[in-house]
Amino acid sequence: MNPFDVKTALLARHAQHVVLIHFPLALFIAGVVFDFLAEKTRKRGLREAAYYNLLGAAIFALPAVITGILAWQFQLEGQKLKGILLMHLVLGSTSAMLIWVAWALHVRARRQLPEGLPVFRLVLETAAVAIIGFTGHLGGFLSGVNGPS
Amino acid sequence: MRRTVFLASLLVMGLGGIVAEPRSFVTSAQEKAASTAEVKIDNFVFGPAAIIVPVGATVTWINRDDIPHTVVSTEKVFKSKVLDTDEKFSYTFTKAGEYPYFCSIHPKMTGKVVVQ
Repeated sequence: MNPFDVKTALLARHAQHVVLIHFPLALFIAGVVFDFLAEKTRKRGLREAAYYNLLGAAIFALPAVITGILAWQFQLEGQKLKGILLMHLVLGSTSAMLIWVAWALHVRARRQLPEGLPVFRLVLETAAVAIIGFTGHLGGFLSGVNGPS
Repeated sequence: MRRTVFLASLLVMGLGGIVAEPRSFVTSAQEKAASTAEVKIDNFVFGPAAIIVPVGATVTWINRDDIPHTVVSTEKVFKSKVLDTDEKFSYTFTKAGEYPYFCSIHPKMTGKVVVQ
């Protein structure tokens, strides 16, 4: 398989979810770090950075979820999942919801005042990072990164 | 004299039977072994990756890995459900030919059954 062949890369079996998932993961974690720093320092620039990282995470979460569901439907023909696969699906969906909720809280605050950001969002974002991390761990396990190359 | 010959004949036939019996047993065991084969899935590898079986043989795949796998024929001849740890999938090959297959969750995992 030639990695520089666009057609091969786009049509590669099951590859899209594995590729796309890294974007919302990285953007969300970066966004949460900026949000914590903004809360501590009260710097507007950090709050802006948090907002745009969370915006990116919210946008990229959509294709990540869609390609994950497509992989389930096409590669496994939508059969009833159990075990690690089911756990990955449930936690992945929960992660996506938490990313969108966290982003929505920032959007609402941005439309009102920066002070409008509720403090409980930090708890929600921390929980989201933990769940996303565990989902990613299961995803990595499923994708075979621990297997022989 | 006639009685001795008769007894000697019986003895020879009996010994022949004892010797012949294990041979027939070995033959049937070999036939049974040839008509079934097992492929173990472990550490993201089908083992053995290629097997040769006779027509009519049943191949059983067993997942000894910690994570789920599937067994899917490249030419859509057979397809397993998702196999969790220790779950099995069997398929009986009724036609000669080569049957390449892969795991649909991990397409890099491939194997082949050659039916002769």
